Amino acid sequence: MYLFLSVSSVSWFLGLLLQNWSFSQNGGLYWPYFKGFVLDSNIFFFVTIELLPFGSIVIAIEMNGGYVNGELGQLRATMQTIEIACSSIQINVNPTAAEATILSLCQSARPYQACQFIIENSQMANARFQAATAIRVAAIREWSFLSPDEKKSLISFCLSYVMKHASSPEGYVLSKISSVAAQLMKRGWLELTAAEKDGIFSEINMAIAGNHGLDVQFIGINFLESLVSEFSPSTSTAMSLPREFHEQCRKSLEHDYLKNFYCWALGAAQSVTTEITNSDGAVSEARVCSTALRFMLQVLNWDFSNSGKVAKNSIDVYSFVAKEDSNSTYTLVQPGPSWRDILITSGHTGWLLGLYSVLREKFSSKGYWIDCPLAVSARKLIVQLCSLTGTIFPSDAGASQGKHLLQLISGIILWIHPPDVIAKAIECGRSESELLDGCRGLLSIAAITNPVTFDNLLKQIRPFGTLSLLSGLMCEVVKDLMTKDLEDEPWSWVARDILLDTWTTLLTDASGFSEKLLLPPEGINAAANLFALIVESELKAASVSEEKEEYFQPSVAAMDERLSSYALIARAAVDVTIPFLTQLFSERFARLHQGSGINDPTATMEELYSLLLITGHVLADEGEGETPLIPTAIETHFPKYVETDKHPVVVLSWSIIKFAEQSLDPNIRAAFFSPRLMEAIIWFLARWSSTYLMTSGEMQSYKNSIDDVTLLQMQQSRVALLSFSAEHTQGKTLLGIIVKISLTTLISYPGETDLQALTCYQLLGGVVRRKNICQHLVTLEAWRELAHCFTNDRVLFSLNATHQRSLAQTLVLSASGIKNSVEANQYIRDLTNHMTAYINDISSKKDIKNVSQQPDVILAVTCLLERLRGASSASEPRTQKALYEMGFSVMQSVLKFLEVYKNEPAVVYLLLKLVVDWVDGQIIYLEPHETAVVIDFCMHLLQLYSSHNIGKISVSLSSSLLNEANAEKYRDLRALLQLLQKLCTKDMVDVSSAASEDQQTSISQVIFVGVHIVSPLITTEMLKYPKLCYDHFALLSHMLEVYPEMIPKLNHEAFGHISGTLVYGLHQQDEEIVGMCLRSLRALAIYHYKERGVGRDGLGPHATSYKDNDGNFQDGILSKFLRSLLQLILFEDYSTDLVGAAADALFPLILCDHDLYQRLCNELVERQPNPIFKTRMASALHSLTTSDDLSPSADRANMRKFRKNLNRFLIDVRGFLRVI
Amino acid sequence: MSDEEVHFESKADAGASKTFPQQAGTIRKNGYIVIKNRPCKVVEVSTSKTGKHGHAKCHFVGIDIFTGKKLEDIVPSSHNCDVPHVTRTDYQLIDISEDGFVSLLTESGNTKDDLRLPTDENLLTQIKDGFGEGKDLVVSVMSAMGEEQINALKDIGRN
Repeated sequence: MYLFLSVSSVSWFLGLLLQNWSFSQNGGLYWPYFKGFVLDSNIFFFVTIELLPFGSIVIAIEMNGGYVNGELGQLRATMQTIEIACSSIQINVNPTAAEATILSLCQSARPYQACQFIIENSQMANARFQAATAIRVAAIREWSFLSPDEKKSLISFCLSYVMKHASSPEGYVLSKISSVAAQLMKRGWLELTAAEKDGIFSEINMAIAGNHGLDVQFIGINFLESLVSEFSPSTSTAMSLPREFHEQCRKSLEHDYLKNFYCWALGAAQSVTTEITNSDGAVSEARVCSTALRFMLQVLNWDFSNSGKVAKNSIDVYSFVAKEDSNSTYTLVQPGPSWRDILITSGHTGWLLGLYSVLREKFSSKGYWIDCPLAVSARKLIVQLCSLTGTIFPSDAGASQGKHLLQLISGIILWIHPPDVIAKAIECGRSESELLDGCRGLLSIAAITNPVTFDNLLKQIRPFGTLSLLSGLMCEVVKDLMTKDLEDEPWSWVARDILLDTWTTLLTDASGFSEKLLLPPEGINAAANLFALIVESELKAASVSEEKEEYFQPSVAAMDERLSSYALIARAAVDVTIPFLTQLFSERFARLHQGSGINDPTATMEELYSLLLITGHVLADEGEGETPLIPTAIETHFPKYVETDKHPVVVLSWSIIKFAEQSLDPNIRAAFFSPRLMEAIIWFLARWSSTYLMTSGEMQSYKNSIDDVTLLQMQQSRVALLSFSAEHTQGKTLLGIIVKISLTTLISYPGETDLQALTCYQLLGGVVRRKNICQHLVTLEAWRELAHCFTNDRVLFSLNATHQRSLAQTLVLSASGIKNSVEANQYIRDLTNHMTAYINDISSKKDIKNVSQQPDVILAVTCLLERLRGASSASEPRTQKALYEMGFSVMQSVLKFLEVYKNEPAVVYLLLKLVVDWVDGQIIYLEPHETAVVIDFCMHLLQLYSSHNIGKISVSLSSSLLNEANAEKYRDLRALLQLLQKLCTKDMVDVSSAASEDQQTSISQVIFVGVHIVSPLITTEMLKYPKLCYDHFALLSHMLEVYPEMIPKLNHEAFGHISGTLVYGLHQQDEEIVGMCLRSLRALAIYHYKERGVGRDGLGPHATSYKDNDGNFQDGILSKFLRSLLQLILFEDYSTDLVGAAADALFPLILCDHDLYQRLCNELVERQPNPIFKTRMASALHSLTTSDDLSPSADRANMRKFRKNLNRFLIDVRGFLRVI
Repeated sequence: MSDEEVHFESKADAGASKTFPQQAGTIRKNGYIVIKNRPCKVVEVSTSKTGKHGHAKCHFVGIDIFTGKKLEDIVPSSHNCDVPHVTRTDYQLIDISEDGFVSLLTESGNTKDDLRLPTDENLLTQIKDGFGEGKDLVVSVMSAMGEEQINALKDIGRN
């Protein structure tokens, strides 16, 4: 063996050295090993011995000096300090001081020696742990200053340490140190040569191969685990490097090493298989095996770049997040063809299944049980292999994939079949995890197959298909669920979720198959049976839960996801399930009427409630604001029914609507139609009407090949279905019924806010969204009745105010159904006149000041304002005129109310919001004279508000009331800012007929007056409300970018306020806000620079320096910003995404005040502690403003160059500036 | 249920001009409500149902506008609640007497001398200091159900 010694210092140490060292012998080989020696009690040095790939040993003796008395003592002292700090954290004595001590170690310059000393010598595991952390932090920070040898020696120190101490009981220290090694390795990944990497990895390989014992084997795999998770973008540690770096590392690892790693781990696992198989009890090999399996799972979870998502991932490497749902996770594993030999053809799956089946036999014995780590990792890996897909399989029409899946499912089926036996065993105390993993396996298989392949898979080895197994499992699970209390989250609850996901995956098109394959006939039967069972269980749950008083289902939405899965199952067998639902409904309707007055109907009502929700999901999809299509299954499954009144969907819908109509009868309503049942009815009607009511249009294209006759029948059946509720048939009657029911819920269910919210938002809101329905709506007697009731009947004043707003909006929106625009405007006038008259009436009362405070008056005013606000927000081009008149007529009253209600924050806020919404709807249509009126009014409003609130101090005994008061103020201010923003839009979009420019009111003028008024109200205290902060800076940056010429006209106080908030904004956490501040700064500086360029004043007095009241000399504002911006980008924390924006702001600032910039640069250079840093800083600063031919003019090309320069500059200097 | 009705009756005695009935369902957060015969500001409203097919009830959390105490009440949402008539009047502060009373100037030019300084330290110092510095202070006096208290302060000199 060739021994190479490199001694970094005087050679006389060597003799002493060789006398003293000792090797730890492990498996007959010398192990990389590191030791500190104490010679003559005052000489100390380190020796590293590295095993190199060519079989030689390099012993690097890194002598950290011949320590004279002080240095060793100092290291010991450091160690002691850290140890004390660690123990005081543990016993929680003065933890802040202790944390500071540890932090100072991390932050000190070059703490490696001390850290290594601690790791080597400390008896305290925690101290070693903290020292490892410090190495990591310091090395990542100082990486660019370390010499290549230092870098390598840090990595090998960590690796050697863990290898040598592989059997140490303090596993967390070992895994920390090996993760430090992994991180340093990643940091240096692009610098290390292939030979250097191979050198390190061959050591690891030997460790994993098991040559040095089980502990080392374990440590080796453990290191690979940390390494792979470091290299995977979603789990990597931030290193303040560009994303490209991480991406390059990822690609390199995947391309060159990942597969090897997998093979090593596989080898390790296989090498211990025999020991595990042959022993009866637990053996220590099991730990290695399970770690290896876990690592293999991790590798298979890698986001392989040839998986077809390449484009997406290379743009944003952090965006990839696997579907994270603890119950049912599956990701597609697509490692590509290069992995074929290892994963497919090597018999790897067979070995794994074999290993697990051996384990299963051992479950009864000591040492292995169903949830032991080895079994868990093996099962997880098997499940992961189920989602293997893509080009790893040869293109043989799925034959080899089929074989692979068949092999897997023949293993998995033992976990889940027969379902009833297994369910019973779980009831008797067997662990459910095997069953759950089996279900997950099915889910994974479902994700990569279509229903027919899925079903056929099992038919090859069993007399039944996979779908039957799936539905059998589901039945057992549902049965079990019926007997359980959901509060405890029983196993069947988890299993149900996974299985429902499996069904959803099978039944939705999203899996990317171009042609949707339908379920095979047995599958349809299975789905029908399953749906029947599900409904039965839901109904049972419904009638049982009635007994529990406190049980309360808060909303339909909570059950939504589950119900849509049910609906998918039902639609798979829709020709059976729809008649089934019809029958269930009719049974319950009959039961309700028979038992009328005798039995307690609540159980039946609750069953109806559940049925309505299920049926709603089966019949129609959630439109989310759009008009949903009729589900394909419903369009295509009823070719036999070409007559409207026999069509099963029509029969079902009609029976429900007829039932709902009975709620109009007061007696029946009192008897059966509880608010909750009504909620379900309204919800159903909303959902049903958005899909079926007055729908026209073509059938969706049907992808499966069918003969023309069937296609024609399908089309006819669809026509039959739609003609039930078409415009020319019963559509209008049905619409009338719906409106009548709505009016009933609004009037006859006082105080039922949930019900009324559903009626206002979902049902009526949905109905007026569609123009063709509006046309019929406005001609309906029932609609006129609703409008009349709304305008004239006080009973609707008792609705929740926001519902009144929505109702007003709905009523105004329905005007779009009136073809003649004069009539439409008249309709709106009729609707709104009473409200404006009422408002004006109240405001003109003589004793308004006294009366206004009465609660009943406040209530009336609130309701009216809400209604006006609703009407305002329904503004459309055709009806704009009438709404303008409406707003115009109440302007004076609004100002009056603002005066009298100045102490009534709720009303003030409403007033402001009304104006905001009204201006928002109107501003772009307004003619010049109207604009002038509106703007004048808005300015009045702002001034009035300001005069009431400026300098006001609210005092209150209770802190919560005080908080309330602050929140109210915040909301008001936000509304005011919104008002100014809306006014701004006039400059962007203007559709008025105004011809000449000079008639226009200058919006910029208005905004500046507005900002003048509002900005003093916005204190930095107020800016702590994130939304207000956002709005404020959005307005500010918009204003400064678009109208910089107004700045010089601002007075000193107002400008001071703006610059003050900018300073505040620059130091916000929120990236967007800092970005907006930087944009504002850029706008200011560029404006000033350009104006100066043509010999004008620029920002004038604001930009020049002056003497303040105390006689101190103050810099001009731009100079101040130059200072603070430099300070920010050099010394403070911010997101790297902001560098571009900062460059854009910094460059013009530098141009504006070059002298100051030079001064600041000199200061910076002077402040550096040593000559190296000084030169470095100076040259960096020099190239910042000169490299890339940057010339001192603020044009686009230069701005771009400066951006690049700044990026380079920061990478160059931030490392050392931040440390010092 | 019966408790609440008794409660309701007793409140009616408090005087019609001091409170007004309003349907519980229409009372919103930030509004006012009478709970246990105290005027409160509503800081939280939630609805729940009595049993599955019963009617909705409103659950109010209010804060006594004078004492800052938290009070709660549950009322069927179709029933009426009492809403206090809360007024605020601005007066100019003309004097602070040594026995802790303030002297205020009313709109009609008379003085109002029956209000005590607030007991809260913070508020007290703000008023005293402001007055001591010779600022023109306007205090806002909140009154409801026969009680009065200074609740806001404004320096009109700054306008």
